[in-house]
Amino acid sequence: MSILNTLARRQLVVVTGKGGVGKTTVSAVLGRALASAGRRTLVVEAAPRETLHQMFALPPSGGAIVEAGPRIWVQNLKPRQVLDDIVRERMPLEMLTRRVLDSSIYQHFSAAAPGLKEVAILGHAWRLLNGKGGMGTPQLDAVVLDAPATGHGISLLAAPLLVAEVIRRGPFAEMGSELARFVSDPQRCGIVVVTQAEEMPVQEAIELRQSLRERVQRDPEALIVNGLYPPAPPEDQDSELASLWRRRRKLNEEEMARLTADWEGPRLELPLLAMDRGPHLIKALQSCLGRDSWS
Amino acid sequence: MELISDRHPLVVVVGSGGVGKTTLAASMGVLSARAGRDTLVMTFDPSLRLKDALGVGEEAKLQEIPVPLDAPGKLYASLLDARQTFDRLIQRYASEEEASRRILENRFYQQLSGTLSGILEYMAVERLFEVEAEGKYSQVILDTPPTRQALDFLEAPQRIIGFLESGAIRVALKPWFDEEGRLKAASRFGPLGRQAERFLDDVVGLDLLRDMAEFFQAFAPLYEGFRERAQAVEQLLRSPKTRFVLVSGPGEERIPDTLFFARKLKQAGFHLGPIVVNRVHPYHPVENAAPGSGWELLSWLGERDRKGLVELAKLFDREQPLVDIPLLPEEPTDLASLESLGKTVQERLAGWESSVSR
Repeated sequence: MSILNTLARRQLVVVTGKGGVGKTTVSAVLGRALASAGRRTLVVEAAPRETLHQMFALPPSGGAIVEAGPRIWVQNLKPRQVLDDIVRERMPLEMLTRRVLDSSIYQHFSAAAPGLKEVAILGHAWRLLNGKGGMGTPQLDAVVLDAPATGHGISLLAAPLLVAEVIRRGPFAEMGSELARFVSDPQRCGIVVVTQAEEMPVQEAIELRQSLRERVQRDPEALIVNGLYPPAPPEDQDSELASLWRRRRKLNEEEMARLTADWEGPRLELPLLAMDRGPHLIKALQSCLGRDSWS
Repeated sequence: MELISDRHPLVVVVGSGGVGKTTLAASMGVLSARAGRDTLVMTFDPSLRLKDALGVGEEAKLQEIPVPLDAPGKLYASLLDARQTFDRLIQRYASEEEASRRILENRFYQQLSGTLSGILEYMAVERLFEVEAEGKYSQVILDTPPTRQALDFLEAPQRIIGFLESGAIRVALKPWFDEEGRLKAASRFGPLGRQAERFLDDVVGLDLLRDMAEFFQAFAPLYEGFRERAQAVEQLLRSPKTRFVLVSGPGEERIPDTLFFARKLKQAGFHLGPIVVNRVHPYHPVENAAPGSGWELLSWLGERDRKGLVELAKLFDREQPLVDIPLLPEEPTDLASLESLGKTVQERLAGWESSVSR
């Protein structure tokens, strides 16, 4: 069975990797792929600056869930908003809610408690999937989460355990334990690591796998190698351009060989394409992904 | 315009993640030592290849390591590690052993030092303060940590200070707990107090709050020193003698990031030197390339990067130095290739200067 079919069975797909490797692009491609497979899918970007909307030629949404096509929605998420919503739900009176939200204890707590923002991001996905998103939110089968870059990406996945450990009781603690189970369950949550076939991103991908084992006790579901140069031109074509292309491709191949040696598990490859960021690129990459059938 | 000169003893290399900041910082370090200045390159997360090129390993996390470069000036390199720097600072500045132990063993501190965003950046500032205070180097080149939002680095000291200020001062001066370990603040909720207190207890979990309060109380005596040093470094960063080099990736989609960062730097009163657009594909339009072929792609990449450069140049004054560095067939693997990269940047800068004066 292809990796795409396997991923289409997951409720949450977390896309992670080093900065600049194309996580947002890959998240959009996976989102589209899941939607094409019949799953009602939301792609969530957890970054302060919005770029996800560009992949679907939409205007910036400012945090709202926006329909981006058949069975697909996108959202740029502000973690603080999620925390405040949880408090609102638990409070019987609006007046009391304001007092708590404005209180210095809550302000300090929500800014400083380790792992809380990350839990808010995951918790948001979990709530939507369980039909607890509130009025006007679409009913969803799957969420693709464009996670922050690696160092932060592993903290995202390890955060539920951390929160469950430091907070111990109350709704945030409950949410922490619930999410810890969710994230470590390979049937419900898939982790996709994105890299480029260059030294630093490959190194980080391998280290990320290691820390996933140590801190979340699980493996990622797939590795996606993005932005590959095409196979090199024949040796008789000798120009500056041909030589640059050949050397860059060689570098890609060396790093791919390193991955073959050091990375167990499915691997998908995406080529560098002559297209600007946007729906055309996403569509073309989706068809590249579909052609692959690793098992 | 010199890339590296006596007039700018501190050079800060900034830009988004994955654009080649660290490599460029190292190459400037080599040029500087060649020019006869004792130079320190402070980096965060160099690739194995670059560590090999500089001849440094994990030991550079603890101290500055001399780079085996045969040059008139000495070249040193260091790696920054947030947790180690934080621990060391607390050990150094805590008034007594007991105070330092209380902080280091606090459960909240142990989580905080690894997870609070901005800690790494803040520690860079602390490290910079130490290095400047020693006065051992005539040139310091500071690489900045990889962040999606490149500006995080400069805002971090202020953010951490704000965090410590709100937490440390308030908690230390007005403890949140009464003698029976009950929340004091809850009494301020008036008639709804009882309910709110129960709620806070429920939501926040008093265990964590107690840990936090204990941490801030233990930390409070150190806080003034942290704040003074952060202010001193902030002044240093704003000095006209400190020059920022902004590194950008090629292509139009990088323009918003670069523009945003350049404007923010200037608005905040920092001194922006050259903008370096790194890893630019060569512009070699290939006629009649087959659609979907590699030639078409390479041709398109060259055009994309060139268009990006032209657009970027339009967005800045003529006086803003802007140079492009070609994508190299491979990343520098030794001191010689680092030096040659540095020279390329230097030459491009000279080229920019003569084009402007014409």
